[in-house]
Amino acid sequence: MNRKTLIAGVIGTALLAGVPLLTGNPYYLHMVGTILIYAILLFGLDIVVGYTGQVSLGHAGLFGVGSYTAGVLFLKLGAPLWVIIPASIGVTAAFGALLALPALRVTGPYLAMVTLAFGTIIQILINEMDFLTEGPLGIKISKPSIAGIQLDEHAFYWLLLSLMVFSLVVVDRVLKSQLGRAFEALRGSPVASDCMGVSVYRYKVYAFVVSAGFAGLAGCLYSYSEQYISPNTYNFELTVLFLLAVIMGGRKSRLGSLLGAAIIVILPKLLDDLDMFRIVATVLAVGMALGAGVAIGRKLSTPRQMALPVVGTIALAAFSYWLESITDWRLSIFGLMILFVVYYLQDGIVGFVRGLWLRKATRLSGTPIADMAASSTAIRSAQNTGNIAVGDDLLKANGLLMQFGGLKAINQVDLNVKRGTIHGLIGPNGSGKSTMMNVLTGIYVPTAGSIVFAGQGIVGRTSSDIALSGIARTFQNVQLFGEMTALQNVQVGLHHTFRSNFLDVALKTPRYRREEAASVARGKSLIDFVGLTDLINDEARNLPYGKQRLLEIARALALDPQLLLLDEPAAGLTAPDIKELIGIIRKIRDHGITVILIEHHMDVVMGVCDQLSVLDFGQKIADGKPAEVRSNEKVIEAYLGGNAA
Amino acid sequence: MYRAVAPLVFQVDIMEILLQLVYSGIALGMIYAVIAFGYQLTFQTSDTLNFGQGDALMLGAMVGLTLVNHGVNFWVMLPIVVVFGLLQGAVVERIGVAPAIKIKSEFGWIMSTIALGIIFKNVAENIWGRDDLKFPSPLPEAPIKLLGANVLPMEILVVFGAIVMMLAVEFFNRKTIYGKAVVATFNDRDAAKLMGINTGLVITFSYALSSATAGFAGALIAPLTLTGATMGSVLGLKAFAVAIIGGLNSGLGIVVGGIILGVAETTTGFYLSTGYKDVPGLVLLLLVLALKPSGLFGKTAIKKV
Repeated sequence: MNRKTLIAGVIGTALLAGVPLLTGNPYYLHMVGTILIYAILLFGLDIVVGYTGQVSLGHAGLFGVGSYTAGVLFLKLGAPLWVIIPASIGVTAAFGALLALPALRVTGPYLAMVTLAFGTIIQILINEMDFLTEGPLGIKISKPSIAGIQLDEHAFYWLLLSLMVFSLVVVDRVLKSQLGRAFEALRGSPVASDCMGVSVYRYKVYAFVVSAGFAGLAGCLYSYSEQYISPNTYNFELTVLFLLAVIMGGRKSRLGSLLGAAIIVILPKLLDDLDMFRIVATVLAVGMALGAGVAIGRKLSTPRQMALPVVGTIALAAFSYWLESITDWRLSIFGLMILFVVYYLQDGIVGFVRGLWLRKATRLSGTPIADMAASSTAIRSAQNTGNIAVGDDLLKANGLLMQFGGLKAINQVDLNVKRGTIHGLIGPNGSGKSTMMNVLTGIYVPTAGSIVFAGQGIVGRTSSDIALSGIARTFQNVQLFGEMTALQNVQVGLHHTFRSNFLDVALKTPRYRREEAASVARGKSLIDFVGLTDLINDEARNLPYGKQRLLEIARALALDPQLLLLDEPAAGLTAPDIKELIGIIRKIRDHGITVILIEHHMDVVMGVCDQLSVLDFGQKIADGKPAEVRSNEKVIEAYLGGNAA
Repeated sequence: MYRAVAPLVFQVDIMEILLQLVYSGIALGMIYAVIAFGYQLTFQTSDTLNFGQGDALMLGAMVGLTLVNHGVNFWVMLPIVVVFGLLQGAVVERIGVAPAIKIKSEFGWIMSTIALGIIFKNVAENIWGRDDLKFPSPLPEAPIKLLGANVLPMEILVVFGAIVMMLAVEFFNRKTIYGKAVVATFNDRDAAKLMGINTGLVITFSYALSSATAGFAGALIAPLTLTGATMGSVLGLKAFAVAIIGGLNSGLGIVVGGIILGVAETTTGFYLSTGYKDVPGLVLLLLVLALKPSGLFGKTAIKKV
């Protein structure tokens, strides 16, 4: 956290803390309190929606689990606050893990449906299990007491505020740590995460559990705040409202969550007042029309693009004068807001403002970051876990068969890769080279055959497990974590160097600080090594294609591999870049890292490879030194076509 | 004698009740199958789903009810509801899905179809009120004996109507040139585009068809259940369970899946509590997605890296 945000945070907290002193009105105090509670939930929801990029429609259900854990413990056992808060967090986190189980296998719309089903089941259970939850009657709860002193409204508000600030700090720290990077990597590219040793399964569950924990905390506080809970609160509309808050406030931003919470709490109250709504709608329509006029005038936008929002806002204003009561139309208004946010405000309010501000900022400064560390220390020499001498087989694949339906993409291939060599894998398009890579890294499980790496069989093990045992790779079609910076991408590769757990991160223990500092230094030197020093803080998706390939190599090296698989690293590179690449590959080998290289640029292949294997239609047709392979008749036939019969 | 007879009577009773539960389960299941069929239609052309499918069904039922209350004959009403469904589906696609496909945002279409669903439901609440309404049955309400158990004529109509609707769409897809465009878009959207097929239009059309089948299903089922603004939401979700169980690309699957779920539900409702009747479908959905996401009848897609 830098100084500016720290100061802003302190001022903001102080202002919020002053609210009870400024207004004696319990209505407003309760409203701000609700905003704080929702903010806690949204911090958690943002982990799932903003960082791992999944749509969760189950958070109202989780919120309900938290509320009802508090309610039931209070009702049945008369439990005190210090028992109820951890219990609510724990129980809800467990439900989060349960929710994550089906979520392991599915993503996108399927996951959305799973979470929706989950939320619906929770609501049904709360309704039906009346022996525990009192069913539709609901549960009454009184304000908590601490050390025998009953909290009044002011004291409870301060309790809420301190828990909100606590949650904010914890979430912020977690998301800026290796855990947050792992969550974000899932969104960027699940396959690449697995191949960097960051298990998609594990971190998806992790994200859901952490997220659910915050939902539980929020739910428990909500029970105390409302002093009465009933099943109907935790419905589909609430879950959609939460999502609206996250995307409208701004994904991946704590400020955005706070803003979103304020919007969904205050807006319905505003909407209760029809005159107010008419004014707001009119101002919005006029503003939109003027804005569109300016945008078209300055040629920032075409009349066609602007037509829909302008007509929409004018229609909304007209609609507001036709209406007699607005409360009934609340949900439609929220629906329209979602549509608007999804198409015109994708980065939320915070993202939009940041975008405006950044555009100005980049105009002012553009100086590259200075060279930080010597690159000679960047690559760590390969460890020799299997005690395999240079020149012996590091990787032995026997009788590999990979069948997709009737197609044998790899057919009875043996592959022996000697330690410390650069082993080229060539063949015409569709000959099974990339399939081979995917089999070696556990993305596909071979139909038959065995693979022994450093003395251990790897068939059937998960991608992340194989990655951690020392096989790193790059991808033919670049699989970077697009929204993360170059440095963060490499840091995901360094995930295996972290031993810190959630608590270390939340408390910023010396261990975590040390590991984080080390990963930054190491990441920088790896980026220097591939020559991307100037682009270290650029988002990966904004890098030129060739540079993206180099960044993938840096990220793979961060895994400290014994074996590095490079899938067409020279594709899309310019001639000088290719020369540099050859140098990089050689340097990698000089550190004792074995390399398997798939490449179509024959000059690269013939220049750097010690050994070559040639595939054609899934079968290995030749093996040997580059010179031998070059004169092999079968190879020539495969590449240039045989004599017509 | 006395002892021997009593258990026998009891057994017959159980069989009769079970059979009756199976009958109404099948009728309900066919409705799920039709909605699930609607999911398949859009999923095939564009890999997207209408999260407001249940609300399309509700709108079909509500519009049908209004027509019937204004003296329109039930059989005349059905085609009008189908036309209404076509329009509604096209609107959903144009507003909610097409822009999202353009910017390739999965989050976008999920959220916007949810948003449109909420809006439709809210509008329906404001037009038709929040209370459930009774839909007059076009057929006699006296049950018919079939294999010893009672079945409502309306239930038979539902099963029959659902099958006809699905067959009609299948026939269209397989036998007409327009249908071939739909199938081509399903197989490879980009290639279809290059062959001069207006894929955008095909996708809009698939949404129109999808909502039309849902609306049709709504008008069919309405006389058997209560009709109201909230009737769609859970139906849509459970039909998704059916679509998943059956596999998003298997026609037979959804009929089987629908019937399994329908029967599971009527029996749960009878033996456990009607409050729990939605639970089996939802649990089934969670289980299938956790264990075999491609569905019981679907094919697993190979992920390419």
